[in-house]
Amino acid sequence: MFNDLKVSAFLAARSIQRGGRGRNAMYIVIIALVLTNMIFLPSVIMGAMDVYYEQTIDYISSDVIIKPPEDVRYIDDVETLLATVNRVPGVVRASARYPMAGSIDFEDKTVAMEIDAFNPRDETEVTKFHKHITEGDFLGSGDRDQILVGSLVAGNKDDIGEFYASLGGATVGDVVTVRYANSVVREYRIKGIINTKSYQADYMVFVTKDEMDAVTGTGGAQATEVLIKTVTNEDAPLVKKRILQFGVGEDVRTWEEALPDVVSESIESFAIINMISVFGGLVIAVVLIFIMTTIKTFNNRKQIGILKAIGLKKGIIINSYVMQVIFICLIGTVLGSLLLGMMVLYFTTFPIEFPDGNVTPIVTWSMIIENTALLFISSAVAGFIPAWRVVNEGILEAIRGG
Amino acid sequence: MDDYISAEGLRKVYTMGMVEVRAINGVSFSIRKGDFVGITGSSGSGKSTLLHMLGLLDPPSEGTIAIDGTDVIPLSEAEKGVFRLSRFGFIFQDYALVPELTAEENVSLVAMARGDNADSYARRARELLSRVGLGDRTTHLPSELSGGEQQRVAIARALINKPEILFADEPCANLDSTNSRAVLDLFREINRTMNLTVIMVSHESWHIEYCDRVVRLHDGKIEEDFRPEKRDLTITP
Ligand SMILES: Nc1ncnc2c1ncn2[C@@H]1O[C@H](COP(=O)(O)OP(=O)(O)OP(=O)(O)O)[C@@H](O)[C@H]1O
Ligand SMILES: [Mg+2]
Repeated sequence: MFNDLKVSAFLAARSIQRGGRGRNAMYIVIIALVLTNMIFLPSVIMGAMDVYYEQTIDYISSDVIIKPPEDVRYIDDVETLLATVNRVPGVVRASARYPMAGSIDFEDKTVAMEIDAFNPRDETEVTKFHKHITEGDFLGSGDRDQILVGSLVAGNKDDIGEFYASLGGATVGDVVTVRYANSVVREYRIKGIINTKSYQADYMVFVTKDEMDAVTGTGGAQATEVLIKTVTNEDAPLVKKRILQFGVGEDVRTWEEALPDVVSESIESFAIINMISVFGGLVIAVVLIFIMTTIKTFNNRKQIGILKAIGLKKGIIINSYVMQVIFICLIGTVLGSLLLGMMVLYFTTFPIEFPDGNVTPIVTWSMIIENTALLFISSAVAGFIPAWRVVNEGILEAIRGG
Repeated sequence: MDDYISAEGLRKVYTMGMVEVRAINGVSFSIRKGDFVGITGSSGSGKSTLLHMLGLLDPPSEGTIAIDGTDVIPLSEAEKGVFRLSRFGFIFQDYALVPELTAEENVSLVAMARGDNADSYARRARELLSRVGLGDRTTHLPSELSGGEQQRVAIARALINKPEILFADEPCANLDSTNSRAVLDLFREINRTMNLTVIMVSHESWHIEYCDRVVRLHDGKIEEDFRPEKRDLTITP
């Protein structure tokens, strides 16, 4: 058995070494491109997902988020909750959000939207809004007549091509009128413009919690969410578990659990797109290898017949072709991995600019290993079949048949 | 001794649609060990068919074949393979050398497949190549050899496993008379020095002078079976 494999390997090696080098090089390059093609699109999608996840953590939900139980609008006694959560090991800081519906007027424009409020000191430790103020400044603790406006809300003078209603180019220092749902009307000076590149985050406006308390009147502002930042590298599910152990009765979710359904659905769609691209790559590889082996074995029909007549086992001959295919796949996948590595390196230095942020493709070892394995298995089968067919032809047909 | 190879009532029928072709139609004969047997006859007379049956490449439709006391008809494909590998050597009109192997590698391939020791088969391959007059061509690829040289490599290949019987089907068909003579001289020499039984199909009448015995076929039957008289038995080394 071992000797048979040795003879197959010998035949395969000589055939690769001395037969049609140019053609083999071409096969190798195609396999490399197939692997690259199988992995590159998924890696870009994974990169895009990663950007989205990061934005979700940085601006929308932080690492862990607490919401009121179902059918309840507000979190009860948020001050006590914040105090409790801030004591939980692994928690850096918790920041509550106090939204109220309303509309914002500026010149002849009106945008109907939720006005959100937070405690700026807490918020800077939990989200990254304060790092993405492109004009003006972030809110300070005592600010009462000032407002932070997302860049998509502020908009541009030339508002053609904007997806959402905007204020048509309001900038820092402009005064806007906010009409709250409870009929309170306030005038605010725009203190800063938020520009995070996240659609969701850039379509928000914020005032301080103190201001919202005043707007709400009796009882003060009411919180609907508490965003919780965990210590770097701390496991979000673990922190969630600890929070629950501290007796928190609200709805506690990790950022992943809090992703909207649309997102999990799109993840599924991406998985299907990935599968199609992987499948397409495999089909190319299989067809290529099948044709390659068919041509090789067919050209060698007579020689195969005579080797069989002399007494060489069929297995030895078939394996010599399968081994050539495996060799081509091996070099091809190594080359493909190098190519991918170079592409990832390039796009890390010069990320692909998506409207939602700069996307760097993410290639994991498991992606490379899985796809390589798939490529190897399907190629080996695609090489085996024609070799098997020609080798199993009767000796005489092979010898006689021109 | 006379019955080293013995065939009894051999028939081979090919059915082509409605037509039955009796390629071999009742052939019985036996061959002595060490004989140089020529099979001759006109085209389509059944020479190749008979050779293939004796060489265990094609089973007869009817009849028995015994080789060195073994009834070979009931053997399985794999057993026939082993039999061929260990006891037969084959040479065809087509040299069919593996194009990516050198002369030496082509010759040693079969021994390698048999699991022989690498040193011994390499040495033996070189020996055989010198013997067929290609001692200085061992590293050449088939594409770098002439037709006659390639056929001589094929002969060396057929001899590597020290076969008892050498089957040759028109080994000189693609060769000019000089190269044919070289090949036939070689056959006769190994037939004599190695006590190798040679069964050679040919339709060239002048080849008869190399044979101990000639079997002439006609329409699948033995028409004539004789021992040529004027035979030059000197061996040219
Ligand atoms: N596979 C086959 N199917 C049908 N008929 C066949 C087959 N092989 C051989 N024959 C027929 O059997 C007969 C004998 O063929 P064979 O090849 O043995 O002749 P031959 O004596 O070797 O001829 P040649 O000198 O041309 O090589 C021929 O009539 C041929 O057409
Ligand atoms: Mg013939």
